[in-house]
Amino acid sequence: MKTNKKHRTGIKIYAVIAMSLLVLLIVRLTYVTIFCSDELNAAATMLHERERAVKAPRGRIITADGTVMADNKTVCTVSVIHSQIEDEEYVIDTLSRELDMSEDKVRSYVEKISSMERIKSNVSKETGDRIREYNIPGVKVDEDSKRTYPHNELASKVMGFTGADNQGIVGLEVKYDSLLAGVNGEILTLADAAGIELDDYEEKRKDPIPGNDLYISLDYNIQSYCMQAAMKTYEAKQAKSVSIIVMNPQTGELLAMVNYPEYNLNDPYTLNYDIQVSDEKEKMELLNAMWRNGVINDTYEPGSTFKVITATAGLSCGAVSLSDTYCCGGSTVVGSRTIRCHKTTGHGTQTFAQTLMNSCNPAFITWGLRTGVDNFLTYMDRLGLMSVTGVDLPGEASTIMHKKENIKELELATMSFGQSFQITPLQLMRAISCVVNGGTLITPHFGVRTIDSQGNINTLEYETTSGVITEDVSNTMKMLLKSVVSEGGGGKCYIEGYSIGGKTATSQKLPRSEHKYIASFIGFAPAENPQVMAMCIIDEPQGIYYGGTIAAPVVREVFENILPYLGIEQSEKGTQ
Amino acid sequence: MADTAHNMHNGNNRNLTPKGKFFDFSLLIIVMFLIAFGLVMLYSTSSYSAMEDYGDAAYFLKRQLLSTAIGMIIFVATIFINYHFWYKIKWFIYVASIFCVLLVLSPLGHTVKGARRWLRLGPLSLQPAEVVKVGLIIVLAAFISYSGSHMKKLKNNIVYCILAVAAAGITGIVTNNLSTAIILMGIAYIMLMIGNSKPTWLIIATVLGAVAVVAFLIWFFNNVDSASHFRFKRLLAWRDPEKYASDTGFQTLQALYALGSGGFFGKGLGQSMQKLGFIPEAQNDMVFSVICEELGLFGGICLIILFILLIWRFMVIANNAPDLFGSMLVVGVMAHISLQVILNIAVVTNVIPNTGVTLPFISYGGTSVLFLLAEMGIVLNVSRQIQVPVTVSEQAGRLRQRAHAR
Repeated sequence: MKTNKKHRTGIKIYAVIAMSLLVLLIVRLTYVTIFCSDELNAAATMLHERERAVKAPRGRIITADGTVMADNKTVCTVSVIHSQIEDEEYVIDTLSRELDMSEDKVRSYVEKISSMERIKSNVSKETGDRIREYNIPGVKVDEDSKRTYPHNELASKVMGFTGADNQGIVGLEVKYDSLLAGVNGEILTLADAAGIELDDYEEKRKDPIPGNDLYISLDYNIQSYCMQAAMKTYEAKQAKSVSIIVMNPQTGELLAMVNYPEYNLNDPYTLNYDIQVSDEKEKMELLNAMWRNGVINDTYEPGSTFKVITATAGLSCGAVSLSDTYCCGGSTVVGSRTIRCHKTTGHGTQTFAQTLMNSCNPAFITWGLRTGVDNFLTYMDRLGLMSVTGVDLPGEASTIMHKKENIKELELATMSFGQSFQITPLQLMRAISCVVNGGTLITPHFGVRTIDSQGNINTLEYETTSGVITEDVSNTMKMLLKSVVSEGGGGKCYIEGYSIGGKTATSQKLPRSEHKYIASFIGFAPAENPQVMAMCIIDEPQGIYYGGTIAAPVVREVFENILPYLGIEQSEKGTQ
Repeated sequence: MADTAHNMHNGNNRNLTPKGKFFDFSLLIIVMFLIAFGLVMLYSTSSYSAMEDYGDAAYFLKRQLLSTAIGMIIFVATIFINYHFWYKIKWFIYVASIFCVLLVLSPLGHTVKGARRWLRLGPLSLQPAEVVKVGLIIVLAAFISYSGSHMKKLKNNIVYCILAVAAAGITGIVTNNLSTAIILMGIAYIMLMIGNSKPTWLIIATVLGAVAVVAFLIWFFNNVDSASHFRFKRLLAWRDPEKYASDTGFQTLQALYALGSGGFFGKGLGQSMQKLGFIPEAQNDMVFSVICEELGLFGGICLIILFILLIWRFMVIANNAPDLFGSMLVVGVMAHISLQVILNIAVVTNVIPNTGVTLPFISYGGTSVLFLLAEMGIVLNVSRQIQVPVTVSEQAGRLRQRAHAR
């Protein structure tokens, strides 16, 4: 049988049909590859690309004297990639030995079938490098940056610390987080279907921008010294806590801020005292309490140190003058209440200056009542006591104060000697700075400047308000406060050769029936032109609790050491 | 009925070359190119997963090379074995190929990835479905050639259909492989359309069948939202691969991603991302998508054009074959290869639902390449027996040679 014409026609028809179908498929293929390309390519790219963040190094925190308080160190994370492991036993043996982990624990990770299993993080760089040198297939060592605090406990409540993602949690670390953090970079990698990154396809898309270094006014030596002084007092007085603040009253730069007991910044999740806590929530509460910066986060009744404000308000509005006198009989009656002086036998007749030196309560009730509610509140407000200080630390507590319409004679009387309202120690320090610096309300702060990775300096600016009180009143108050130290209740802060001003306070904590006290002293030097101001607050001291007796010597000790260090020379007048 | 290939030269044997002198070199070159290109692409496509799964990037390449080497021996042998030999042993080949399929049910049967489709003898494995394709082509070509003009008769059509349905049915059911059954039926259908000089009933049946299929599809997509059987799932995934991306539509969608990310000139040989496990077993059905990803639309079109040229050569040889048996053999091979190419590329470009048809010469599969080479050898043998007219220059040359000899 031969092929006939019909067969050949059939063959041709089929061949043409088949070839046409293939041409149509070319058209379809063109449509898909060219006209759907954008959409399909985007979908495919999404499938293949993995964006890996590259941590930006966090900025350091450096003190005025150049001590690095917060730094970064390289740590390693060791992981295993199950599918790439060749010899499980060797991997288990090596890793358990190098990482000091039990074989069973390592085995559980190694034998787990997953794309990648993290075995240990925060491994030291030396260990990480050593493991890398073994060059074991399936074992991966990734470097990472971890925050470290070289000085452990020093200024812990000021500094704060960072969390797992290097984000600030408390203190300066959180306040300046955006400046310190920098911007993470991104590496674009391609990964196969199992999610394993392809080494030769790595492409850096965005470099990380390192965080800014933060330069703070804190002085390492002053802070260290203050901490030692606080620790000594804490132990000697069995106190609940001892706080010391050192500040430049002219600028508001904080030189030291101690809240003893401090905690270890490199181990912030361990309580700084022995206690068995099983409940997570309870432990968290205790940790939060431990991290608190008492001089900023907690308020107290200032007591007698507040008489500086009462005197300033009275003098400024003209309600009282230096020539006024008061005769203290040991108590005074306000409304229907009798308020006793701490000297129950009475101070007798005193000049205005003597009432401050003696810290006479009945006298200050009189000065306060003469000043009146309006003037009193005006000066409290002008001296920044009605608002937060604006210090560059988080969680500042606000004033707890009577409503103005509720301030009657009795309330004003108690306010005059620093009771029945609450402020933070730093608020008081700021107000007194204003009183003695000639009337300029400053903003207490740590941050001085930031320097970015290119070396660009950004100086931090803070608000100041001048002319809050007159120069005259300021000079008078300096003179009066100097006499408190040289002749009055602050005598324990007197240092031969230095001119020092200051005021003591002994506040009774609420409820009064518990007889718990806060002893405090605030001092500054030189009295005529204050360059440094220090405040010591002893919370719940055992035994003697008078501020003039226990807090003033602490400030003296601090001054004895830091005045020469700060280059404040002895004045001839100081001996007068 | 014409006696010779070129009826315009009928009867004038002096102006024709002797049998065995003609050889279709262009077909040979196309086949060799496809084989070589297939091996390169196979290596490119499979090396990553071969390394992952077997620790040897050339694992699939080595196996394919071995099959190709054996295939080349068979290829050369079939070029020189007179194709009429296959006519003599048609029944043996047909029965033996079906027997091979049935052997899958015996302990020799071998299961790969849940599908029992292989025969295993020591290190060698064989996919009987590929053998049946050759067996069916030979027996049907022989039957059409034997029936000649009687192929119009109903009785012969029924016998023909029994032969085809038996082979397709047994293969499809035993190996649970619908796509092979479809290919077998497709080959038989095309050979019958061409071999039956009065295919009236076939045309009617074709139209009715097409209407039924379209009606079913319309009904299916309007009424069925979810299906449990994988074949129906594939139908659903065909219209909306995104929706079934995690499941049945996964392969199709991944293939489309590969096409789309290749663009016009592709990412370059070896640069495919989709072969890195995204397209499951990219060296099998979906190899064309990786070709397009690496070599772009340009590479894809070049490959399709090669297949078009192949079909064209088949057409020329089939039209000029010395007899109907030779012609129908070539038609069978043409049907086989063209159907698989069209269905494969249609699947990759999501024109039709996923069927699991491989791309001839390119997709991984030892049995496939071995028997394709056997088919090509048979076709080339048919081409060798064509007597082509001697051109004027050739005549002059021959005369000159004679004169010179004197």
